Amino acid sequence: MKASDKIQYDRYLKGETLPHFRTLSGIEMKEFYQRDDRPHEEPPPGVFPFTRGIHPDMYRSRLWTRRQQSGFGTPEESNQRIHLLLSKGMTGLNIDFDVVTKLGLDPDHPLAEGNVGLVGTSVATLEDMETLFHGIPLDKVSTTLIVNPPYSAIIMAMYLLVARKQNVEASGLIGTIMNCAISQLVGPTYQSGTHFFPLDPTLKIAGDVMEYCIKNIPRWNILNINAYNMRETGINAAQEIAFSFSLVSEYIRHLLARGMEIDQLGPRIAFFTSAHIDFLEEIAKLRAMRRIWAHLMKDTFHAKNERSCWFRTAIQTSSLPLTAQQPLNNIVRAAIQTLAAVLGGSQSIHTTSYDEAYALPTEESHILSIRTQQVIAYETGVCRSADPLGGSYAIEKLTDEIEERALALMEEIEKRGGFFECFKSQWIEKQINEARYEYARQLEAGEQIQVGVNMERDEDEEVKINIFRQASDMQEKRIRYLREYKESRNGDQVKRALENLYHQVKHHPNSNFFQTILEAVDQKATLGEISDTLREAYDFKVHSD
Amino acid sequence: MKKNKRILIGKIGLDGHDNGIRIVSKWLADAGFEVIYLGLYNTPEGMVKAVLQENADLIGCSFLGGEHLFYCRKLLRLLRQNSLEDKKLIVGGVVPPDDVKALKDMGVSAIFTPGTMRDTIIRKVNELIAA
Repeated sequence: MKASDKIQYDRYLKGETLPHFRTLSGIEMKEFYQRDDRPHEEPPPGVFPFTRGIHPDMYRSRLWTRRQQSGFGTPEESNQRIHLLLSKGMTGLNIDFDVVTKLGLDPDHPLAEGNVGLVGTSVATLEDMETLFHGIPLDKVSTTLIVNPPYSAIIMAMYLLVARKQNVEASGLIGTIMNCAISQLVGPTYQSGTHFFPLDPTLKIAGDVMEYCIKNIPRWNILNINAYNMRETGINAAQEIAFSFSLVSEYIRHLLARGMEIDQLGPRIAFFTSAHIDFLEEIAKLRAMRRIWAHLMKDTFHAKNERSCWFRTAIQTSSLPLTAQQPLNNIVRAAIQTLAAVLGGSQSIHTTSYDEAYALPTEESHILSIRTQQVIAYETGVCRSADPLGGSYAIEKLTDEIEERALALMEEIEKRGGFFECFKSQWIEKQINEARYEYARQLEAGEQIQVGVNMERDEDEEVKINIFRQASDMQEKRIRYLREYKESRNGDQVKRALENLYHQVKHHPNSNFFQTILEAVDQKATLGEISDTLREAYDFKVHSD
Repeated sequence: MKKNKRILIGKIGLDGHDNGIRIVSKWLADAGFEVIYLGLYNTPEGMVKAVLQENADLIGCSFLGGEHLFYCRKLLRLLRQNSLEDKKLIVGGVVPPDDVKALKDMGVSAIFTPGTMRDTIIRKVNELIAA
């Protein structure tokens, strides 16, 4: 027996205990909970403030949407993967674009050279978008477009034009444009939100997209706050809630100032939240989010329509608890996280694949994620009643405690001038860094256990895992394609469309740019060209060194 | 020439995931190294320029988007072209097992994948600077 094995062996025999009894957010839990801890009863599901769920019968009338994120490589490759996943039981699309696209660059940009087609699909042209959605009826499948402003305007315009080619009316489109300037890229880190486009115009163009969608695409969600990406920076559950709602309040105030009504907005704003590994706390978090949102809409923004008070959220299981060590353990973690999302009452779920710590999912691990959700849905019986954990003393008390912490933080953010101000002053950045250092400290100190990492670690482990591989000639292929696309179009029309946009931004800075951007896309201007035109009109240069 | 404890750290390319690189930067600073953090969106050329300006002995990069082979190859080539082959490159992030080997073969001095503990990193960095 190895010496290290001997130590473990003795520990098992001694009887094991947890290092502490705090949640990931630092809430100290008691020995047990009873009625005195939480005497009053929460209204039933489907009743304001919807803590127990936005519908009275929840999954009885409809299961959550199984919405796995997909997108890699060229639009052709992504299209094939989408068709595969739809044939295997995926019920909604979640289209991720490569970081080049999400930063408003074309694949032939010098800064893009190593990133084309990685972690998302590369889209630069209207034709790319047609290829990506080839054979997918846009009036039947609901689509989430994972893209941030100002480039969300270009992608949304492409999507509308693809729909037009499919003879689908704007009124028939169902889905979401993420469209958040601050939470979308990698959470609210300052540099990622300001390096490629100035912040204020980004927010302005986000508003243009929202306004256009409200007036022209009646069933489309105009904004999705990416709480997930914020959480993935390392912040805790209470911060995830507070950041999300402080941020969404800013957008709402902006749209109200443009003359829109709260009940036009409320039902069309949704969220994308995380399910971390702290099972009870994550369930309580989702319940608290529903309650806070309902009160925010009714009490602060005076919504009249009940639907405005429905907190609707997609969930992705967090990758932070997933480990590169003993990767099969991640299958278990993701299943438990998915169960938390279900018991928390989510509207759609992406189960993160166990190979996330190595690469994008393979076909096999992608399908395993769908199967995980199906096992929970059809075998475990947890979907028979809405909010089956409601009334649990511990869950109700935890819901209250998280709510309290989140509300206190929201108040502090408001006092500091609101989320945008806190972002600009980098107060948010400071919160994030402190939180991520603290999480790392807890892992180092063994206060937060990760099996296979700081417990039961096998130093000699040789991981055998099937890794998803991309073609290595992606960028060359894409550059060649782009050159041919540009040669095949009418250069004068492109030039005129871009000049129109430049002129509008310069001389009518407060007008809505969406229609002009759509016309430029229709004339075959590329995503990078349109973005550069906007940058130029705002006298902004991308700093590259 | 005597080696100092200056480490140049930055992300190359467009991937913005900075959780790991921020934490490792703090660990190194806490351990007494002088960390020059260049943030996101650096080019290989920019990194080499900074190495010259800052006279750092060690360069740390982090990759989470699958771009590690491309950028490490390019950075190492530029270092050689600028007669900076004595500068050592360490890499952190999401790197599949086969690529760990590939990176080592091309001249990366150490690769820290997710779950690497603080002391392992500090020990290795000390070794590299002493070598």
